[in-house]
Amino acid sequence: MAKVKGQEMAVKTEGGTPQEQQRLRPVVVTPPVDIYELEDGVVLFADMPGVPKKNLDVQVDKNVLTIKGEISDIVPSDISPLYVEFNGKAYERAFTLGPDVDVSKIEATMNAGVLKIFLPKSEEVRPKKIEVTVE
Amino acid sequence: MLRPWFSLSDPIWQDFDRLNREMEKIFNENYFSPAGAASSRVPMPAVNIGETSDQVLIYLFAPGLDPKGIDLTVEKNMLTISAGRDTAKELGEEAKVTGYYRKERFSGKFRRVIALPEGLDTSTIGAKYKNGILSISIKKKEEEKTKKIEVKVD
Repeated sequence: MAKVKGQEMAVKTEGGTPQEQQRLRPVVVTPPVDIYELEDGVVLFADMPGVPKKNLDVQVDKNVLTIKGEISDIVPSDISPLYVEFNGKAYERAFTLGPDVDVSKIEATMNAGVLKIFLPKSEEVRPKKIEVTVE
Repeated sequence: MLRPWFSLSDPIWQDFDRLNREMEKIFNENYFSPAGAASSRVPMPAVNIGETSDQVLIYLFAPGLDPKGIDLTVEKNMLTISAGRDTAKELGEEAKVTGYYRKERFSGKFRRVIALPEGLDTSTIGAKYKNGILSISIKKKEEEKTKKIEVKVD
């Protein structure tokens, strides 16, 4: 279970010339998502290959859900490229949540590069079944 | 600090990449995709290939696979990777779905064929699947390895 934090992340600052900063800046990719509505909540799946659980950052600030993940280094340091299709180093995407979500009960799990987040609906908006008694 | 994937993070490449994305956006959203919502959908898992002094490394960005369902074959110098996933099954049987807001992720089967460089020893191929990336390593043949030549001083 990944941690869901409420506070904002500190802004990272790096030294060096503007050129160096440009070069060092990670290429941030928008991960594709599937979002389903269930009877009792909303489920979000995001494809973030290369992100281990420890590099994942899921936050809710007011009504904005932000997911971030850094790709861990898996390439050897002496590698030289022959062919490159994907040049991302991190993923980031934000979503505006509706008022029905109970933000205190959000659950996040990570498996094989797929982030799954369950956003439960608050009790008062869930469909209630009313028993009709026949006298 | 993040280290770039290989060395293609020079500004020139980023500009090119951005142009590419913009083109993709225009064509996908306005012309070919009626809904326009799934412009970030990737049809195939991306592949990166690199080499070190003694091996060639192939990385396939394919999250959510069952490692047992990944099929790897080598014929002559062609490496074929086939696998698939069904995103509809990720929710489980008991989930009561009432609708969806986004469906952008790849679902189905895929096959990628990669032409390998010359001089590889394809009898020993290593493959591992971790965090949604399939890493394949193929050793170079002895005679193809980078050799260091000692300079003797008389």
